[in-house]
Amino acid sequence: MQPAERSRVPRIDPYGFERPEDFDDAAYEKFFSSYLVTLTRRAIKWSRLLQGGGVPRSRTVKRYVRKGVPLEHRARVWMVLSGAQAQMDQNPGYYHQLLQGERNPRLEDAIRTDLNRTFPDNVKFRKTTDPCLQRTLYNVLLAYGHHNQGVGYCQGMNFIAGYLILITNNEEESFWLLDALVGRILPDYYSPAMLGLKTDQEVLGELVRAKLPAVGALMERLGVLWTLLVSRWFICLFVDILPVEKIFSEPGSLSMATVAKLRESCRARLLAQG
Amino acid sequence: MAKAYDHLFKLLLIGDSGVGKTCLIIRFAEDNFNNTYISTIGIDFKIRTVDIEGKKIKLQVWDTAGQERFKTITTAYYRGAMGIILVYDITDEKSFENIQNWMKSIKENASAGVERLLLGNKCDMEAKRKVQKEQADKAFSSLARDILLKSGGRRSGNGNKPPSTDLKTCDKKNTNKCSLG
Repeated sequence: MQPAERSRVPRIDPYGFERPEDFDDAAYEKFFSSYLVTLTRRAIKWSRLLQGGGVPRSRTVKRYVRKGVPLEHRARVWMVLSGAQAQMDQNPGYYHQLLQGERNPRLEDAIRTDLNRTFPDNVKFRKTTDPCLQRTLYNVLLAYGHHNQGVGYCQGMNFIAGYLILITNNEEESFWLLDALVGRILPDYYSPAMLGLKTDQEVLGELVRAKLPAVGALMERLGVLWTLLVSRWFICLFVDILPVEKIFSEPGSLSMATVAKLRESCRARLLAQG
Repeated sequence: MAKAYDHLFKLLLIGDSGVGKTCLIIRFAEDNFNNTYISTIGIDFKIRTVDIEGKKIKLQVWDTAGQERFKTITTAYYRGAMGIILVYDITDEKSFENIQNWMKSIKENASAGVERLLLGNKCDMEAKRKVQKEQADKAFSSLARDILLKSGGRRSGNGNKPPSTDLKTCDKKNTNKCSLG
């Protein structure tokens, strides 16, 4: 690739992630030039929808969300649809109280271990950046651990909270969104027994056996447990691989619907390699 | 179709969060070190094929999340493992104390007689060392089959040899049992 051609696509994306070395600029530009039309059309629709000030709950919104919330509206739409905004409004000052709560060295250590290991490919999380989002991440996770002592801190929450911080640019909103996810939408995913997570993994296995028997048989023949493939996807809510709009408006369907789509697209490749 | 390997060994890496399991596995499988690791969530694996005494050995190394609650997921992989590598951080006493707990998990979940290997990581940070080699030797000498060696994430304890070399040495000892067992 020519250097002149490379330089047209910024090395850092709008979220602060560095594009990988092998990033295909030409393919990206080709895709983006046509996708931009779609994005613009969506942005106009969303602006019209949100011009009244609130975020309506309707079939239209559901449809819009499924297609993706434009970056500039994400924080607001997520806050309202998840109920996080309502919680934050009803509990003024609560977040800051949590940060001043009684210290818990075990919790603090567990969180600290993961700070350097959360999005190291994102410039905003680098220690050399000022302000460095590691501090914000630490606060959100610490407050959450104090707030929900049954869960405390579970690895994986660092990626979710980190992502929420990147989108909202707001510590307190990130906390309330994290609470919506961990506390209400996926209550047993992160608790010590991880029952919700394990159940969903089993359900996924059943679904694959029923809908894609060839893939199911391959997995059985190779003796691969589903956890190997999906635990990271499920625990991190696909934040590192897919857009995450839908979870706040249709929580129950997230994992299964997403995997249903993914597995269709991966089916041919999986079987070819098997 | 000819098999691409003579033996397949499944190895498992366990130990506290942050001791450097992923770093070791990447160094071993890709001969690569960098400073940007992400927390392992759930379970992951890497594959490397090595030649030992003229045999092609395919190593399937499973990497696990270190946080206690992930045991609910990771212990399912203990039984299939032929060798288990317990990793602690020589600069973190707690991670060494917890080796006892990891041993207990092996006892409860792995096949009887599984090969075990204890590994003190981060030997390049000698100035911050909290766990002495003698301590490790003493505490686990009763496990006669265990091999104790030190390995630094960046450099192995005895110079510039990458830890992959050390691991290979230990596999060599273990393979006799693994391959026949």
